[in-house]
Amino acid sequence: MDKVISESTTERISVSVPMNQSWKYASGTPMERFCAGLKEKRIEALQCEQCERRYLPPRPFCGNCHKKLKKWIDVKDEGTIEAWTVLNLPMLDGRTGKPRATPYGMALIKLDGADTTLNHYLGESDPKKLKIGSRVKAVWRDELIGAMSDISYFEVLP
Amino acid sequence: MRHAAIIGTGQTNHTRRRDDVTQPELIREAAERALADAELKPSDIDAVIISNMEMFEGRAMPELWAAEGAFAAGKPCMKVATGGTSGTSGCIAGFHQISSGLFDVVLVIGFEKHSEGHTQTGMALVDPFWDRSVASGALGNFALSVSQYMAERGVTEEHAARVAVKARRNAANNPHAHLKMPDVTVADVMASPVLAHPIRKLDMCPQSDGAAAIVVASEDKAKKLSPRPAWVNAAITRHEQPYIGDIERRLATMRTLKDASRVVYKQLGITNPLEQFDVAEIYEPVTYAELAWYEILGFCEPGEAGRLIEEGVTAMDGTLPVNPSGGVLCANPVGATGVIRVAEAALQIHGRGEARQVDGAKTALVTGYGVYAWADVIALGAEPGGN
Repeated sequence: MDKVISESTTERISVSVPMNQSWKYASGTPMERFCAGLKEKRIEALQCEQCERRYLPPRPFCGNCHKKLKKWIDVKDEGTIEAWTVLNLPMLDGRTGKPRATPYGMALIKLDGADTTLNHYLGESDPKKLKIGSRVKAVWRDELIGAMSDISYFEVLP
Repeated sequence: MRHAAIIGTGQTNHTRRRDDVTQPELIREAAERALADAELKPSDIDAVIISNMEMFEGRAMPELWAAEGAFAAGKPCMKVATGGTSGTSGCIAGFHQISSGLFDVVLVIGFEKHSEGHTQTGMALVDPFWDRSVASGALGNFALSVSQYMAERGVTEEHAARVAVKARRNAANNPHAHLKMPDVTVADVMASPVLAHPIRKLDMCPQSDGAAAIVVASEDKAKKLSPRPAWVNAAITRHEQPYIGDIERRLATMRTLKDASRVVYKQLGITNPLEQFDVAEIYEPVTYAELAWYEILGFCEPGEAGRLIEEGVTAMDGTLPVNPSGGVLCANPVGATGVIRVAEAALQIHGRGEARQVDGAKTALVTGYGVYAWADVIALGAEPGGN
């Protein structure tokens, strides 16, 4: 039972505030090149020339060495599942604000040629068919727009 | 640096929805209780710190709206927002304000009113180019990391269920806890629905409305004002690289928590935290995280967390009781959650834990956890300057 500290003499009221706003964010140079690559089904990472870590997403600076990142390298659209889950409780899609249809599989995928993992959807949503170490390949959508969503999901390879 | 001590704590009774009060009124409840506990008047407070994740409520500048409820009007006041660590980071900021000599008495307040906003939306507003289209939220992020951790360290769903049972039963002794389940069993937890494989409903923390506050004082003031101050003997915080994919085998490695804890242990000469702390209040938003933190914090060797929970080492009557309050699994008003950890640990040192008191507790370990990376580690003690 909640502790009521205020004595309400009338019906309790609240105000509902629906909002429909838009924001506009700059890509920065590394992400600009990365997105242009996606339009051609090309995935590029930036490598730190000091620690040699190959970063996805490509970003301006190495957080460990504090160096500016300049060395572009090609990464495959195939990789290995490092971690996985199947969601029965949907999360909001950050672009639409709507929940996704459940169940759906997600994984942290280490693409061949990268040292960081990519968080993305899987084509498989049966927990019995998912395991760490499985190989996956990107399924690209037909019309490429130069955004992460150009990869619809990753299919689990036999 | 001067010593700082916690001389008063106050909390609301955390619950799903507090539609009988506004945000400032909610804050006022906790702040008033903390001042009463310290036997101070509002005019005795030099400065106020507010911890809150305002994107969750969608109400900007909470430190302004809350000024009156927080006794902050006309005083120095600032806000700290670092995800789940907001509360512990706010406390650490308060400790620094005292230790540096800037102020003598600081009130730190954390609050969140999840019921008024959209926590999931707040969590989804991540990098728009990289992971916004594939954000998996707190639940999904945890589930991913848990799959790795289980495979690597041999932790089972039953081990996690035991953590849930310990927490919910401990919470039955805590009047402020949101989820109290004195009769819950391992079978109940394992029968609860899977939200994100392998995490079940009873493995997760709730979303709560609530506020918590502590009064921090300088050494002179604390000795004058409090019969048994809880001394802040170490407080370390760590930040991390931005993306979840940047952190290799996250739950098994968690360098922020590991590094922060090792600095604290070194400062205090701690070589065996399981034996050398009397009680711990750690930030475990999901059962599996508590197991991972046992290993990261050095309570046991990697791979032994399951044994620790099986053998009751962290139960109320174990070697190191972890979360007598019920922890984050039993109350999670995010901005307040870290302050609650600190307040609960201070209560133990004050000897005022009532039904959840660990007998004779003189040293306490506190942790904070934010998003998937940030970490705070704090050590409190009955004596100033060390364990």
